[in-house]
Amino acid sequence: MGARRKAALTRILLQIVLLLISLVIIAPLLIMLLGAFKNSTEVTSFNLELPEKWLFENFMTVIEQGKLLPAFWNSILITLASTAATILTSSLAALVLARRNTGLSRFLYYFFFLGTIIPMQIMPTIRLFTVMDIYGGYLNVIILYTAINIPFSCFLYTGFIKGIPKVLDESAFIEGASALQTYFHIILPLLKPCNITVLILLFTGIWNEINIPLYFLNNPAKRTLPLSVYQFFGMYGGSNWNLVFADLTLAALPVVVLFLFMQKQFINGLTEGAVKG
Amino acid sequence: MRRTGHIYTYWLTIPALLLFGIFFVGPSVYSIYYSLTDWVIGKDSVSFIGLENYRTIFGSDELTHAIYNTFLYAVIVVIGKNVNGLLLALAVNTKMRLQGYFRVIFFLPCVISTIIIGLVFVPVLHPNGILNEFLGNIGLGFLQQGWLVDTKIVMVSIAGVSIWQWSGYHMVIYLAGLQGIPDSYYEAAKIDGATALQSFFGITFPMLAPAFNINMLLSLIGGLKVFSEPYALTNGGPGNASQVIALEVFSKFGRGQWGLGTALNVTLAIFVSVISIPVLYLMRKREVEE
Repeated sequence: MGARRKAALTRILLQIVLLLISLVIIAPLLIMLLGAFKNSTEVTSFNLELPEKWLFENFMTVIEQGKLLPAFWNSILITLASTAATILTSSLAALVLARRNTGLSRFLYYFFFLGTIIPMQIMPTIRLFTVMDIYGGYLNVIILYTAINIPFSCFLYTGFIKGIPKVLDESAFIEGASALQTYFHIILPLLKPCNITVLILLFTGIWNEINIPLYFLNNPAKRTLPLSVYQFFGMYGGSNWNLVFADLTLAALPVVVLFLFMQKQFINGLTEGAVKG
Repeated sequence: MRRTGHIYTYWLTIPALLLFGIFFVGPSVYSIYYSLTDWVIGKDSVSFIGLENYRTIFGSDELTHAIYNTFLYAVIVVIGKNVNGLLLALAVNTKMRLQGYFRVIFFLPCVISTIIIGLVFVPVLHPNGILNEFLGNIGLGFLQQGWLVDTKIVMVSIAGVSIWQWSGYHMVIYLAGLQGIPDSYYEAAKIDGATALQSFFGITFPMLAPAFNINMLLSLIGGLKVFSEPYALTNGGPGNASQVIALEVFSKFGRGQWGLGTALNVTLAIFVSVISIPVLYLMRKREVEE
């Protein structure tokens, strides 16, 4: 009896401690959210007090002056295009890596493997894009995101395809489907669960990334959301923290909303990616 | 019907291979050459200067300090994220009503861009910011610091923000590992009279090895490649106190010293490979043997 009571007490204490820790996580985000509604003097106390007056117009100011909408569409374009290209090319390659067991396929596996670890070389890549005459625009960023994300998603697909019975694709092939037809009609529909994992992984990764746009988008009109946020901070960080917070809030909003609606898929997707890749 | 093609023809790998080969491997190979040149933007010719750039890197106080900072940062985040992640996972893994809530809240920061998180922490860590104010209010005033302005602790503060952001992520990986351990193991240990501590080190710890390996490796590689955290929080300052390798690459890029910048970038690639590839190799080998 005493032992059980002690266990129950420990559990309650544990929950209280965890609740306090969750406040540590929430507090800075809440300072940002509340600060976004304050005026420029009120915000400088950087606390958790509610705004005296909720200034929704801060968001309008930010959307205009921070040019958030074009940045949002740039992010959408770059993220979706790179994600689609990565999913298509890496799942195609994974089919071969998963089904064939030859020296060449093992070599390719390790070849891709390097790309999951080693950091990319920036300046020679810029030179390459300059020679190709596509440096600075959307295309070079999309190509680059695809190239650097292929290895990781290739591993995820390889692991997943190994779990699909081989008979399925072989019978289709015997019935006269080509390799590509087999891929599109048999394999691709079966990849759905893996596609969701890869999609979430790539989407959040690319959406939040700043390094590549920083080096490879030289036109301010093409900058992505995180990049626009940093530049906005540079302009207003000294004087108008309320606007900076409004900007940060709006920039964080799309992924946070997606996350809150699809918690399970996000948590499973992002961690499964790490565990299996 | 006679088929000539192979069902899993290597042609299917061509798009991935071309993209990865041309735009990742190609520049990586070329970088070795460029790192041995005096490549400067705006100058017409590029000439071979041997190991001069590497001599510059390892002879410069600023750059060796950036290398030191990178390793310091990596060590702190590896320890911090894993200790926090494991403790949180152990705590959340007990049967409790709020488990779902904790999982979501602790995970939330890692879906937000590091740049956004970094900028939110700029005022929080200000000498007159809410962290110091809070420490003062709860009687821990002696812990108050100039978090981002004191050159001695700025790297620790930056690592702290990253630990704040990513502990929940590592928690979920540990949690998956914990939930993969069959209850029967613990019951058997209990029957044999094992204490809680004994079953932790006898069952939990060894069974968590795969999760532990992944978490170590992810935090280590991420730590060595660090860029956005110091970029958002301090931009390398005060002075050069929080410079890291990737930030120095960016600054050399901005100044047009592309040969030197590439040499730094190659140095980073070598550090990451030399440290993580043997670790990974051992991990894979052990997993295959098991």
